[in-house]
Amino acid sequence: MGYSLRIGPALLWLALTVSGHANSASGGSPPYLDPAWLTLGHYHPDTLGDSYTSQADDPAFFLSENGKQSPRAELEATLSAIQKPGGGDEHARCLYPARTAWLQKRFNLSLPAIDCPEYQEWKDTLSTETVTLVFAASYLNSPSSMFGHTFLRLDPPQDDEETNLLLASTISYAADAAAHDSEILFAYKGIFGGYPGITTIQPYYEKIRLYSDIEHRDLWEYTLNLNQEEVDLMLAHAWEIRDRNFDYYFFDENCAYRLLALIDVARPDADLLSEVSTHAIPSDTVRWVVDKDLVSTINYRPSAATSVAYSLSSLPDSQQTLAAAVANGYVAANADELQQLSARERAHVLDATYDYVRYQSEAEGWPRDIAAPLSHELLRERSSIDNVGSPEAPPKPAIRDDQGHDTFRLSLAGGQLDHREFTQITLRPAYHDVLDPPAGYRSGAQLQFLRLDARYYTDNDELQLEQLTGVEIRSLSPRNQFFSPLSWQVGFGGRRADTGTKRVLTPYLEGGAGGSWRVGPQTQLFALATADLEIDDDLRRGYDAAPGADIGLLHQNSQFSLMAGARTKAWIVSSQHRQDQAYIKANWHIGRKFSLFTEFTREDHYDRYQSTWQAGLHAYF
Amino acid sequence: MKKLIAGAILLGASSMAFAQPGCGVGAMIWKGQSGIAPHVLAATTNGTFGNQTFGMTTGTLGCQTNASVQSMAMYMDSNIDKVARDMSRGSGENIDTLAVLLGVDEADRGDFRKVLQDNFATIFPSSDTTSGEAVDAIVALLEKNESLSKYVAA
Repeated sequence: MGYSLRIGPALLWLALTVSGHANSASGGSPPYLDPAWLTLGHYHPDTLGDSYTSQADDPAFFLSENGKQSPRAELEATLSAIQKPGGGDEHARCLYPARTAWLQKRFNLSLPAIDCPEYQEWKDTLSTETVTLVFAASYLNSPSSMFGHTFLRLDPPQDDEETNLLLASTISYAADAAAHDSEILFAYKGIFGGYPGITTIQPYYEKIRLYSDIEHRDLWEYTLNLNQEEVDLMLAHAWEIRDRNFDYYFFDENCAYRLLALIDVARPDADLLSEVSTHAIPSDTVRWVVDKDLVSTINYRPSAATSVAYSLSSLPDSQQTLAAAVANGYVAANADELQQLSARERAHVLDATYDYVRYQSEAEGWPRDIAAPLSHELLRERSSIDNVGSPEAPPKPAIRDDQGHDTFRLSLAGGQLDHREFTQITLRPAYHDVLDPPAGYRSGAQLQFLRLDARYYTDNDELQLEQLTGVEIRSLSPRNQFFSPLSWQVGFGGRRADTGTKRVLTPYLEGGAGGSWRVGPQTQLFALATADLEIDDDLRRGYDAAPGADIGLLHQNSQFSLMAGARTKAWIVSSQHRQDQAYIKANWHIGRKFSLFTEFTREDHYDRYQSTWQAGLHAYF
Repeated sequence: MKKLIAGAILLGASSMAFAQPGCGVGAMIWKGQSGIAPHVLAATTNGTFGNQTFGMTTGTLGCQTNASVQSMAMYMDSNIDKVARDMSRGSGENIDTLAVLLGVDEADRGDFRKVLQDNFATIFPSSDTTSGEAVDAIVALLEKNESLSKYVAA
């Protein structure tokens, strides 16, 4: 987008200032405005003016003193540096192999051969034939993870049957957050800047340990169809930025964004960065990569949590009870109850129980003096059963994370509030609520950012801001005999509050915690204790607070989603009126682009009943 | 393949210093390590990552110069619970990774898996077994095996 707006004036300026490199092959745009060069320098058009600024925040990334602001000065400096005689690791050609390759091609340079021992060793060590984009799905209890995470895996040649991808290297770009920063500080600095972003290289098994074992995130592996030349160019550029600082921002200059730049360097035609407007949500970036035909194969790697839940659920009921009894220490791993089972059944019970104990040790911090001897006993028993393979892996989900609905939602609805008719428009830049099409998202999970609801009341031609949601997170995770997660919610923003005589826009903060239980394969019942705080000078004492409860039923399937329940809030400071609500909300999904929705709420507040209903259409894009 | 192994060592230990090259894994030290050897089972991490220690015990391995064994020891150190799990089952990607690191030929893989499964209790005699002790035990077992001894020869 930005390029097309800026290139016009830039060309004009160029025509007036005679290019110093008039020998460039194409007569069109000057070489320093070539998208490939701008990508290599991470240059972006300035919001004001016609110039460019690089996103690299490290002076060492540039050869020219004006390099950060001037793609032209940087190109000239690079061009002269790579033509200097000499060699060795400090030579510009060794420090900037990707720039060198591009300039060499662009200007038909014939440069003498040169040795770059460090770079060569690095490249040999990585021994990369193909590159895989790995997407770590979100997990519920950490807001900072909910957008997902992406990194690249450098796959060695696969013709060698000994090759094991666990040992492959990965490149990732992440905020270098100090370990002691709290989740809130992390969120603040992530959004407003303050963390340096760094590129790190680690073996894949360490990534699996982090994402799959500790954070319980499923991994999706998208092998890119880059050829060897493109892979080499990507690596060469990774070498250029490897120790260089780029400021990190959650929404735009994040992990996914920097990887898109690497893929763009490898294949400039893909032009993935042009897809980024205001934010680069990892799941969206994966969609772009898939849509641009950059993917050859897709593999699913379930997390430890997904695997253990699947192995437990695939045991017959009586064996599930047995597994729970062994895990909780009521039955020994070599007890008669287990010996009576066939070798295959016994192996499956022992495998599932061990995985469960290990999961609980990681996730719930089961004390080592209980978990370790039990784990050891389970493994020793298991090792005596020959010729029964490892438990079956969970099936690949029918819908991948990148195949879910798009995250930007625009809604239009008509409705009534206590016999006043209104038209409502809602904008939600990100991300998902529990009534949206569930495919590709965690069931029971909701994360909304910066949602704006505006109403136009037709009776008096009044336009009102109904609600502005800063953040709204809800996590409804069912409990069972093995897992007992907490269901919780938190949110803040501004909303219309009823003062008894009028509806005023009030800043609010709300939260809640409780439990959820599965009552059918796609249905869960939840019960939450809630707390609300509203602050506004229209309230009698300037603020009001309400403890409360919310009990409901949530059903999610690919055709429709439904939530119904009852909510009560006891406002205790200013109004001292109870607010009771019965609600039902339903969405019918039409593909992954649209949903029809309807909501009805009946409320008793200030000793009067009033109803609100609305119906309309959600569009996702 | 050799390159890959080197990669596993070098990249897996980007913050690692080789204090005394040539004299075994015991000499490889993570920068800033606290020296506590990870226990095999239920070494809980509580979500922190990247600060784990690399503290091999010195046993027969103290002067084991076989680079493949050192690679295996490093891998075991960060994946010990998963390796133990796969050994008890006689299959799985982590046991296959050990085979890759030791350079075990496809033809010997079946024997390799079987030896490790059958001797689980020897490799991990208790829940306090450290990864270094387990590596020592594996090396000793493989040395005694006619077809597998060549992969751990110093």
